[in-house]
Amino acid sequence: MQLGFIGLGVMGRPMALHLLGAGHHLAIWARRPVSSDPLVDAGALRCASPAEVARRSEVVFTMVTADADVERLAFGAHGLVEGLTAGSVLVDMSTIAPPSARAVAQRLAAHGVEMLDAPVSGGEQGAIAATLVIMVGGKAKVLERVRPLFELLGSRLVHVGDHGAGQVAKACNQMVMVAAIQALAEALHLSGAAGADPARVRQALAGGSAASRVLEVMGGRMVERDFAAGVEARLHHKDYAVLIAEAHRLGLPLPVSGQVAQQLNALMALGWGRCDTAVLLRVLESGTLRRRPGAAPGSQDDSARVER
Amino acid sequence: MKVGFIGLGIMGRPMALNLMRGGHQLTVWARRAESMQPLLAAGACAAAHPAAVAEAVDVVISMVADAPDVEQVMLGGQGVVQAARTGLVAVDMSTIRPAAARHIAGRLGEHGIDFLDAPVSGGEVGAVAGTLSIMVGGSVAAFAATRPAFECMGRNIVHIGDSGAGQVAKAANQIVTGVGVLTVAEALNFAARSGVDPARVREALLGGFAYSKILENHGQRMLDRNFKPGFKSWMHQKDMNIVMQSAHELGLCLPVSAATAQMYNAMVGSGLGEEDSIAILKLLERLSGEAG
Repeated sequence: MQLGFIGLGVMGRPMALHLLGAGHHLAIWARRPVSSDPLVDAGALRCASPAEVARRSEVVFTMVTADADVERLAFGAHGLVEGLTAGSVLVDMSTIAPPSARAVAQRLAAHGVEMLDAPVSGGEQGAIAATLVIMVGGKAKVLERVRPLFELLGSRLVHVGDHGAGQVAKACNQMVMVAAIQALAEALHLSGAAGADPARVRQALAGGSAASRVLEVMGGRMVERDFAAGVEARLHHKDYAVLIAEAHRLGLPLPVSGQVAQQLNALMALGWGRCDTAVLLRVLESGTLRRRPGAAPGSQDDSARVER
Repeated sequence: MKVGFIGLGIMGRPMALNLMRGGHQLTVWARRAESMQPLLAAGACAAAHPAAVAEAVDVVISMVADAPDVEQVMLGGQGVVQAARTGLVAVDMSTIRPAAARHIAGRLGEHGIDFLDAPVSGGEVGAVAGTLSIMVGGSVAAFAATRPAFECMGRNIVHIGDSGAGQVAKAANQIVTGVGVLTVAEALNFAARSGVDPARVREALLGGFAYSKILENHGQRMLDRNFKPGFKSWMHQKDMNIVMQSAHELGLCLPVSAATAQMYNAMVGSGLGEEDSIAILKLLERLSGEAG
């Protein structure tokens, strides 16, 4: 099949390689040509603009950072819409706000172009191993056309609903995951302060009802104090702005999400946006007086000092 | 002074009337023609659109709902910007995001129009009585030129700083009042559900460190169960959203504001948006297992 791919970052590059590896023709474009080099080496065709990618493709994938990036790629100068023919499909796998996804779909529909919002979960590892979870919003008929391609990228595919529904599911995914990271950070922070070894607490929790993927992966990073990215926390900060905006738009109380968003704001202010979100543990630590493990504040053996 | 006024709702109408009482010549425009009637009856002139208002006056004031409305009035095809000339001062007294105010100031500045952001606090009561607090951002010169008009509408008039600074002050004001209303509602609900007369609790608290204007005024209205606006919940929801957006942009941890913003979301979502923000008491009662 003639395919296009734009957005060859940490996630996009391995995904594009899977499509190439299955024997599809791949047209690509990148703002910085250097990021398309590995794909060109593997046989992809480098194009001069998103419009040219679109002209050569039946299905175009985008995997970029923000709502504005998707809108610019689609409708900006030399944008995809200039090259997409009626019946072709734009599959946006970025994480953006549901109303933005619906707006893009609607504008493309005016040109007879189909759209799927298909954000993913599973991170860089999942992209490389082709084990991503793909959450799709859009028409079932269009999804069926693209399904064989999705199967090259992920191991679980869910058609959530109409346009934007994939992004709603992704927002929920982020809500549950980051809230769990925050809860875990608080648990391990409490463990340390109360004089219990966080590594052993984590080990104990792993056997019971509190077991989770977050406990396993992020818990490991917290215990090892390895905060180098996995998933950059600044992306979760962005995702939480989407959640808070949706809560406002819909008149919906999300009390825990509201609090988690504040911890993410603090994380950004502390300059840790490019660390893994496990660094939420350090946000808690930076707001805590240092004292002897197990000592209650104000007790005789409390050696509280302000950590600066 | 010749003053233009755009947006004649609950707040704008009494503010415009006070400008006329202060002896200023008024030209008005409103999206709905009928809302201009009380002003025209009092001797104001009507204009066909915001640009026509700006052409006729020295200072043009807007008092509308949200940033897109202000942008339309100031920068739109028939907006104030179309009547650009040196010496014209544009003043927005609505509550919008500080970043939006700075954007509008920049765009008008390119056309030689001075812009002040001058949001107010004090509600409908303060607007009618001419006792609003006015928080101003923009140049000192434009502030000085507009001061006589401000003095007809408000009592506590503070130049906070550059463009956007007035909106920052207003956002800070909305944090304190938004959280304050919720706190007073929680305290009174706590007292009532503990089997104690909330009216007496309020009376006792008024004498000590828990005293606040909100405990006094809003607290009394809660006891009276008078939920008529006043200041509608959906507007406070909008303002808390401004606070949360700014916190996101700045990397600021605002845990209490965040909790409060979610409660206002719940109010709007459960049909209390058109009631006064003190109806947050009803929401607390529902969440505490009592029909509100």
